Amino acid sequence: MMKRLIVFMSVFFIMSIVKAQGPEKLISCHVDKVSFSQFSDWLNKESGVQVFYLPSWVSPIKVTVHQDQISVIDAVKLAIRGTGLEVSAWNGHLVLLKGEKLITELPLYDKIGMASDTLTEQAKELTASEERYLTGRMADVVQTIRVGKVGGNNFNSKAKVLGRVLDVETGEPVFYATIYFPELKSGAVSDINGFFSVMLKPGKYTVLFEFLGYEKKKYMLDVISDGELSIQLKKAVIQMKEFVVYGDRQMNIKAKDAGLDKISMKSIKELPMMMGERDILKVSEMLPGIVSAGEGSAGLNVRGGSSDQNAFYINKIPIYNTSHLFGFFPAFNSDIIKDFSIYKGHIPAQYGGRLSSVFNIVTRQGNRKHFTAHGGISPITGNIVVEGPLKKDTCTLLISARSSYSDWILKKIKNPDIRAGSAGFYDFSAAVNYDIQKTQLSLFVYHSSDSFKMPEINNFNYANSGMAMSFSHNYSNALRGEFAVIGSQYSFNTINMQEKSSAYEHGYLMGHYEAKADFKHMIGGNNALMYGAGTVLYQLDRGNVEPFGSQSLHNRVLLGKEQGLESAIYLADSYDPSPRLNITLGLRYTIFNPMGPGTVFTYQPDSPRELRYVSDTLIYGNNNIINWYHEPDIRASVNFETDENGSLKLAFNQMHQNLFMLNNAISIAPNAQWKLADYHLKPSASNQFSFGIFRTLARSGLETSVEVYYKTTTDYPDFKDGADFLESSHVETQVLQGTQKAYGVEFFLRRSNTKLEGWLSYTLSRSMVHISGENAWDKINYGESFPANYDIPHALNLVLNYHLSRRVTFSSIVAYQSGKPITYPVSVYYIDGVPQLDFSKRNAYRIPDYFRTDVSLTVEGSLKKHKLMHSSLIISVYNLTGRQNPYSVYFTNENGKIRGYQYSVIGVPIMTATWIFKLGNYASE
Amino acid sequence: MHQNKLNAVFLVLTLIVTSCIKSFTPNIESGDLNKIVVTGQVNLGEEIQRVNISRSSPISSPEYLPIIGCSVEISDDKGNVFVLGDDGNGNYTGQIDQGYLQAGTSFRIKIITPDGDEIVSDYDQINACPVIDTVYYERKDVELNTPGKYSLGIQFYVNLDARATTSRYFMWEAYETWEYHADYPIEWWYDGVVHHVWPPDYSRKVCWKTRKIQHIYTLTTRNLTDNLFNRYELQFVDNLSARLMYGYSLLVKQYALSETAYTYWDQMRINSNQQGGLYEKQPLAIRGNLRNLTHPDNEVLGFFGAAGLRSTRIFVANVPDLPLDFSTYCSPSALRQGLREIGPSDYPAYLMGNEFGYSLVQLNVECVDCLAQKGGTNVKPDFWPN
Repeated sequence: MMKRLIVFMSVFFIMSIVKAQGPEKLISCHVDKVSFSQFSDWLNKESGVQVFYLPSWVSPIKVTVHQDQISVIDAVKLAIRGTGLEVSAWNGHLVLLKGEKLITELPLYDKIGMASDTLTEQAKELTASEERYLTGRMADVVQTIRVGKVGGNNFNSKAKVLGRVLDVETGEPVFYATIYFPELKSGAVSDINGFFSVMLKPGKYTVLFEFLGYEKKKYMLDVISDGELSIQLKKAVIQMKEFVVYGDRQMNIKAKDAGLDKISMKSIKELPMMMGERDILKVSEMLPGIVSAGEGSAGLNVRGGSSDQNAFYINKIPIYNTSHLFGFFPAFNSDIIKDFSIYKGHIPAQYGGRLSSVFNIVTRQGNRKHFTAHGGISPITGNIVVEGPLKKDTCTLLISARSSYSDWILKKIKNPDIRAGSAGFYDFSAAVNYDIQKTQLSLFVYHSSDSFKMPEINNFNYANSGMAMSFSHNYSNALRGEFAVIGSQYSFNTINMQEKSSAYEHGYLMGHYEAKADFKHMIGGNNALMYGAGTVLYQLDRGNVEPFGSQSLHNRVLLGKEQGLESAIYLADSYDPSPRLNITLGLRYTIFNPMGPGTVFTYQPDSPRELRYVSDTLIYGNNNIINWYHEPDIRASVNFETDENGSLKLAFNQMHQNLFMLNNAISIAPNAQWKLADYHLKPSASNQFSFGIFRTLARSGLETSVEVYYKTTTDYPDFKDGADFLESSHVETQVLQGTQKAYGVEFFLRRSNTKLEGWLSYTLSRSMVHISGENAWDKINYGESFPANYDIPHALNLVLNYHLSRRVTFSSIVAYQSGKPITYPVSVYYIDGVPQLDFSKRNAYRIPDYFRTDVSLTVEGSLKKHKLMHSSLIISVYNLTGRQNPYSVYFTNENGKIRGYQYSVIGVPIMTATWIFKLGNYASE
Repeated sequence: MHQNKLNAVFLVLTLIVTSCIKSFTPNIESGDLNKIVVTGQVNLGEEIQRVNISRSSPISSPEYLPIIGCSVEISDDKGNVFVLGDDGNGNYTGQIDQGYLQAGTSFRIKIITPDGDEIVSDYDQINACPVIDTVYYERKDVELNTPGKYSLGIQFYVNLDARATTSRYFMWEAYETWEYHADYPIEWWYDGVVHHVWPPDYSRKVCWKTRKIQHIYTLTTRNLTDNLFNRYELQFVDNLSARLMYGYSLLVKQYALSETAYTYWDQMRINSNQQGGLYEKQPLAIRGNLRNLTHPDNEVLGFFGAAGLRSTRIFVANVPDLPLDFSTYCSPSALRQGLREIGPSDYPAYLMGNEFGYSLVQLNVECVDCLAQKGGTNVKPDFWPN
């Protein structure tokens, strides 16, 4: 490297919270490739600690240490790692010796009371205070946790150990923490309630606990028999950066699911924002295999699937419209999100009902120790989150609310049409969590609403509402069960009055009512069984399309109501035949019943499904079953760790989908209706094979992955030529089903824990639809396969964060996508003097490519640990280059001439400033 | 629907930033831009066979672009060739002796354009067309979208009885003709000087207008046990125009099509029924049965078919129980300041009056001249009853 000898030191003093002096003094240490003598001089200056050594021993050492809170002695240990030298403390100073420690009595000192608060132990012989006495006072000695009672178990059998990981400050469970046993080369991951369970032969084990943003903990685990333990992890106020990286890396290699993406809130927080709003969905678009429909549009396309093939859950509540204001803002308040996972390859058997992906959002439970609040103000919205204990340590409350206040801006616009318009949205959520030892009870309520009115043109109103109640209990150390009842509703009302002669009003309501039970059962140390059952009742009122206004000639169409019951059972087994190999095999069996009341038309055989060929009318009474669809899904995945730095993941995933969105526009309009599979419309099914190679390059720390997938979908519904889904309640007259093929390769490269971090992703993929029934009328595009509406062959995303200092971060996003396919009207011709439009083949053309660059600068307030309020200022520029990306291309008929227009949602750079505040310090949630 | 959203999005963004809509000319491949369009049909039952050849035009400047100077030949599957002559404006006509036009015979067309492109169609077989069983009408009130409000009028139906044939695919075309009257004869007119025509000129008082009903009516009886269909709905004529006042006639042409021709016209029917914005519905690309042999990649639009044809005409006058509710295009205006209100640009201006004199009321040209309405003729059609 050119910069070989450039000494680069940047030191930040946070705040000395440390009473200890000498070698145990905590310092912030950032040195990069300096010689050891420079390093020791610097240490002396910073801490007053002298390091004694023979210069010849240390001359080859180049020291690189990046730690924000590290004791002097640990810093030196890091510096001499691997050189065969040993460091010993001596009279408040340090001595280096070759291969041996200085033989002297170690000075007695307190380890800052840290250990004493963080370890509790249950079901054991020693009292907690005894244990603390024995372990807590010994510095540098790994504390031992004893689990179980002597004689509690048969010696030969494995002991079931149930553990729980909690946050020491807020008392909230820490989930997805990794628990790793280096001797066994295996481990576990804590679940959503912080629980983990392992099967261990009685004996002593080293165990490491770690999770992003928390201090790493190492213990000796002395397993005697079945037992329980609870570990409290402390947030790493300063070292967060380092752990985030390690956690993620660990996740990539060890996570068992192919095609699972996890996004830490930290990476979300540092991305450039759109109009001052953080959008987790926009972050997911930066990942390989996920593309959006464009600016200002709801909907994501995952691995060549349509946007209705994704399930979104927030604390188990399904959300059918995930965005505010046509996709500009996410429908969730990012500040309450604790975990965000996207399953796109191997989808665990507990999920079903969508072909492409599951977006699972888990919100925080709320601070268990004290009340706190945070919020933010951007040019469009204000939001606030309040959380705290209703009963200390057991019952918490978290309320978040967000609302736009944009109407005042409307009034400033000169155009009278717009001035008279109004636009606004809000969302609200409340969570109550009750947590007593082995039982957790939670209630989550969510509501979001959008209203958009433009007089004389159109009105849109839509709302999501949901409630989920869940109860979970650990029946034994090896069996955990969770029961939930969930209700969710999505409704909209649209008035289109753009053309008086065809103005209409349409209201729609769908309900999703679900009950389910999930169990996780440990059988043996390397085998976990997951099983459960659930049922969903869908009730759709597709509403009426009514002419609006006295001049409207629009047909009155009663779209009708429908019901469907989806019942599923599943069983999955995750087995580790060897520490490096995991095999997960799952089976999910779903029965879907469209149910009455309903009127079904049957059509004459060998004729198109058109109302004029109706042969019979079947009338079904309330709750009468119209049809039975049985759908077994096989989910299998194999994860093989080739070595510490790499793994191979292979997955086969089968999915079924019973609920479709009727939408022929490129993006999801707020008035897109959901429709159930019915007598005619069959559920879609997909098979996906995926294979991934994940590797962390040991030297550079770069994470790399390459994944390939091949997915075929049968009974994929697409619109017939000329279809209009507001015209008829009989969707089968508008839709044909065929096959869809999607395949692609995804490249991902991530660099983290450096000043310059970020990722680069590139996806090469195709998604083709082929609808070719036997008869001419059962074909779309003459039976030739055509690109799906969201077929994006190339997508390239670059996300970069540059940490100028701990408080100042510069971020940027560069995104490129191929233009979306489109069917153009290509020319006009005349038959008997009547003009006719000639359209290209389905999706034969593409709109221009998409390219965008965003930048943002985040300035955090002071990093003091003890302060009342932390605030930060984010300045971001969206679409820096001002490129006019086509959101869509459309055509209008103007005096008999057809004119094309390109609509760019954002054609100029937009700068926004957002101020965010929260009670507490930088790291508070 | 799509459009609405665009507008909505547009609004939101205008608030905050500049979104932008700019004119966009899609980069259409030249092969798509001006395709050759051929329409025509050999009809069993007609003397003259017609073919039209044109080019499609860019959507930004739609115009009818006839191709003249083509050599056009229709041939049957028995080796007979019939040459069509160029009538100009893209129309080609020729006579085929009825002896060659038999059900079961297939025809195809071969065209050589002036550019040397050779275009051929597939063979299309003539199906025997049954006699039109009946065309009739009934008084019908169609409920409007406002509940309780009705559009009054008459509904035409056709009954099909094709049991005597094997044809299963049908299409109807309808041509309506009606008589209409100007309110006044030409009697007084002014061009700086007042003229009196005596006796009044009634030659432009009574006119007839004929137009093709743009709706395409298709039906297949393929799945019916009997080759019968009753009460197939054709045209609805409401009482809001003069059409039912002095006499109305509907010419119905019934074609027996081949299956491929039926599919083509059925798609045309779907397309022509489209109302509303272009992108509210899934656009439909219709492919016919012609291809370009010289440049196989260049698609040829249109359809060349062969069909049995029968036609019938029905007259309607004085529908009972149907009050007409229409106004003519005549709106006289009072000349408060006398004749000087009429400027030279309005000459000749017509005045209300009788044999004794005129009044200061100006009649617009539609009041006295039925030919002023586009498409009208004052020559009584020969089929019109006296």
